Amino acid sequence: MRPPLRIVIVGGGTAGWMTAAAFASVLKPEQRQIHLIESSEIGIVGVGEATLPHIRYFNKRIGIDERELMAKTQATFKLGIEFVDWARLGDSYIHPFGAYGSRIGGVPFHQYWLRQHRRGDAAPIEDYSLAIVAARMGKFTLPSEDPSAVLSTFGYAFQFDASLYAAHLRGFSEARGVKRTDAKIVDVQLRGTDGWIESVKLDDGSTVTGDLFIDCSGFRGLLIEQALKTGYDEWTRWLPCDRAMAVPCENVGPLTPYTRATAREAGWQWRIPLQHRTGNGYVYSSQFISDDEAAAKLLSRLDGKALADPRPLRFTAGRRRKTWNRNCVAIGLAGGFLEPLESTSIHLIQVAITTLLDYITGSNEFDPRIVDGYNRWIEMEYDRVRDFLILHYHATERSDAPIWNYCRTMDVPDSLRHKMELFRQRARVVTYKDGLFLEPSWLAVYFGQRVMPTGYDPLADALPPADLTSKLQAVRDQVHGAVAAMPRHEDFLAQYCPAQKTAMVGKP
Amino acid sequence: MNGTISHIVVVGANSAGWIAACALRRAFRHRGLEVTVVDTAAASGPRVRWTLPSQRGMHVMLGINEAEFIGATGATFRLASEHRGWQGEGSRFMHAHGELGSDLSGTPFYKYLLNEAIEGRPASGDDFSVATLAARQGRFARPIGEGDALTASFTYGFHLEEPAYGEFLRQHAAKLGIKTIDEVLIEVELSGSGDIAALRLANDQRVVADLYVDCSGPQAAVIGRLTAGERDDWTQWLPCDRMLSGVMPAHPSAPALTQTTATAAGWLWRAPTAAHTHAGYVYCSRFLDDDTARGALSAALSGVADLRVENLRAGRRLNPWVRNCVAIGAAAIELEPLIGADLHGAQLGISALIELFPVGSGSAVEAAEYNRVMHEYGDGLRDFTLAHYHLGAARAGALWNAIRATPLPPRLAHKIDLFSANGRIHMYDFESFEETDWAWLFMGARQVPSALELQIHARVAQIRPEQVAPLREYVQRLVQSMPPHMEFVRRFGARSLQPSN
Repeated sequence: MRPPLRIVIVGGGTAGWMTAAAFASVLKPEQRQIHLIESSEIGIVGVGEATLPHIRYFNKRIGIDERELMAKTQATFKLGIEFVDWARLGDSYIHPFGAYGSRIGGVPFHQYWLRQHRRGDAAPIEDYSLAIVAARMGKFTLPSEDPSAVLSTFGYAFQFDASLYAAHLRGFSEARGVKRTDAKIVDVQLRGTDGWIESVKLDDGSTVTGDLFIDCSGFRGLLIEQALKTGYDEWTRWLPCDRAMAVPCENVGPLTPYTRATAREAGWQWRIPLQHRTGNGYVYSSQFISDDEAAAKLLSRLDGKALADPRPLRFTAGRRRKTWNRNCVAIGLAGGFLEPLESTSIHLIQVAITTLLDYITGSNEFDPRIVDGYNRWIEMEYDRVRDFLILHYHATERSDAPIWNYCRTMDVPDSLRHKMELFRQRARVVTYKDGLFLEPSWLAVYFGQRVMPTGYDPLADALPPADLTSKLQAVRDQVHGAVAAMPRHEDFLAQYCPAQKTAMVGKP
Repeated sequence: MNGTISHIVVVGANSAGWIAACALRRAFRHRGLEVTVVDTAAASGPRVRWTLPSQRGMHVMLGINEAEFIGATGATFRLASEHRGWQGEGSRFMHAHGELGSDLSGTPFYKYLLNEAIEGRPASGDDFSVATLAARQGRFARPIGEGDALTASFTYGFHLEEPAYGEFLRQHAAKLGIKTIDEVLIEVELSGSGDIAALRLANDQRVVADLYVDCSGPQAAVIGRLTAGERDDWTQWLPCDRMLSGVMPAHPSAPALTQTTATAAGWLWRAPTAAHTHAGYVYCSRFLDDDTARGALSAALSGVADLRVENLRAGRRLNPWVRNCVAIGAAAIELEPLIGADLHGAQLGISALIELFPVGSGSAVEAAEYNRVMHEYGDGLRDFTLAHYHLGAARAGALWNAIRATPLPPRLAHKIDLFSANGRIHMYDFESFEETDWAWLFMGARQVPSALELQIHARVAQIRPEQVAPLREYVQRLVQSMPPHMEFVRRFGARSLQPSN
């Protein structure tokens, strides 16, 4: 029997506690020994408060009860993201967690929709997505497990308070034997022979040794960058936003089962409704607006009264050159940063954790072939998310602000240019086996941002016109019928996972 | 290329050509697409092919009734390949078209076997697979049901005999309204823009189409006129450049199995059809001359007659779609027949062409996507072939030394490296062979990883032999209930076939 792998996690934000919880739950106690070091004096960024449906699999796999988690984190349900003003001022579309119709004769549904659209006879594409129609009407229910039911055509995620999620995972982890030390790291000792991390020295005078060091220290990358000088690939030329202001405000009106991202004069603003308050933020480029002006703009565009002063954040879009270097793996912001436009921050943490768990053996020697395999995988995940984010900025017709003029006319990666050309030509979405965003996501953004194809798949012409009309009508009827019978989002929340009222709750 | 495609000419009256013609016609008949097949009088191609299970799907797509096809062509079924001697004298393994065991609560069965091998208790997956056991015992039945049922745990390909299969497809094409011109291609006429304007045939015939599909085989008689020399050469990795083939009398109890046997300079093969046993030798002329190869084949398989030799040249066309011409099959990609993927390669091209069928004006974007996707698929087929030569213990011989001394393509190197380190099979985006196929290959070659993924290890280390023993019994019992393979074939009337050569 091998000795347990000694895992040292540096940083206790969302990334740190998700890592601790997953390793503690998935590995057997005799396989691992986990020590998390965090300092209560260092604030956490609390990346994003909106998630993707994949987080449910993560929670399920490690054994977190969903209702309890939602109640404890002031969570609401999320069916998608509404994008406002992205292609043109006045535009609105929803990127849904779900499909548009279903394939007919092996051909994607949207090809038939386009054919009908050309005949001037199709309702908007939104009408064929249960997730979108339910979101727009403020409805929610859990999906059906019967694959033939229209209620099985969507998924959901959460909008929650990430710091409460981390706190919940801390309790979960400590109950499974994770050791926590509240201290700051004052020094990192590298092994003379090969530069691997041998130990970290804490401000309480103690030294912590380990086999695998997981850097969850945030943007600064205490281990991966400050100690190991791994290097960082910047993507600012495609994703120019480098700052954010974040502020919570009081809830006003019904809780929407979706997040909103509104394009602004120098970036975009998020709005995430939780049970007790609404999270807001302005992600912007310091090239195009000052911090003070960004803060003022943000405060002037809240639903309700601000509950704190705006908190500034700085970042650089990009990815660490190797997120696994020697015996150090960077997870979360220490590994890379992509703005939260598509709620990918927590997801990329999840991908790093599950991939690491999939790749490691019990050995503490970390075979370079495994390290290389892991790094390739993580690179691919980041690169594919990156292309999808760039699409939002690039596919715009806006010319009312310098940032949009820049993004509209910038050179995009060849991989994205090819995808866009193929969609424009014949509405074909380039798909891949691994990687985050699937066909409906690309469709939502293409259509939502007015990338309209000039042609469609000729296989869709095989259906006689009368059948086409009746099939499309049937999908709309099913979607609208199902949504009409769904409860209101707030009512569903109230019976499923009501959160405790807190002092931060606004007026009733 | 402008406007709607209303007429396609397929060059090459061979199986790949007929399949392309039929599939395109069936997919776009609703738009009134006309398809014409032109014979090139090219080399006749192989006399037998072993195919992957995807051929079944292609038959469904073409509207071919399987019983009718088996009866008319004398094809047989194929559950597996058996590879002898690839890891040294006496070694042998099966690559089956079926599951390798059944999942152990979400963990693939091969991980259990890998752990056994790491712990020094190597065990074969053959006893836990319906396909391998049936193949070994000479039995066959079609899979039944779906999901996790053992009766649905396998699939099959075919051994196809030529020219019977091609003739059958020709008749099928005629039923679909496909025209045939039996005149030899003389010249490809280009327009001022560089597109193909027309094909000039013997007897002063001239054919004009909107799209030209080149199924003329390795000579690439049509697309070769558009691009010169733009070919990826793979012979540094796959140096075998000759194939000798011959026939023997049919074996009345032949198993549903293709057999290969590695030699110092290549590999011998044997494939059954209803009317014959086909046999041959794939080898590298640098290490073996043709006469010695003939002698070796005859010595290995007495009674093999009517020997024929053809050249092989591993590689692919960098851009199989150029302007208004798409190369499909051996005109696009050439590989030794080891993995039985030649018609599969054609099928990938045909399916991609149907999915990217030009719309509106121009097809440059479609061509770019087609070439990208086919490139990925081609890499996968090359890597699966090449892995046979590289996994497990090295065989002695100059050919094998030369092959093993050549650095692998990076994507295959990575796949083997990762597996060797932690037992994980990395899958790329477009791979015809799935994780289970790779598992058969890695396991069969006894490529044992140094460790297993920690999580997987925690699960499989607890499994005891008595927990997997029932599966072995179920597999045995199911296989016992299957009829002999050749009896199954004869049910379709194929026994009445006379030898066609």
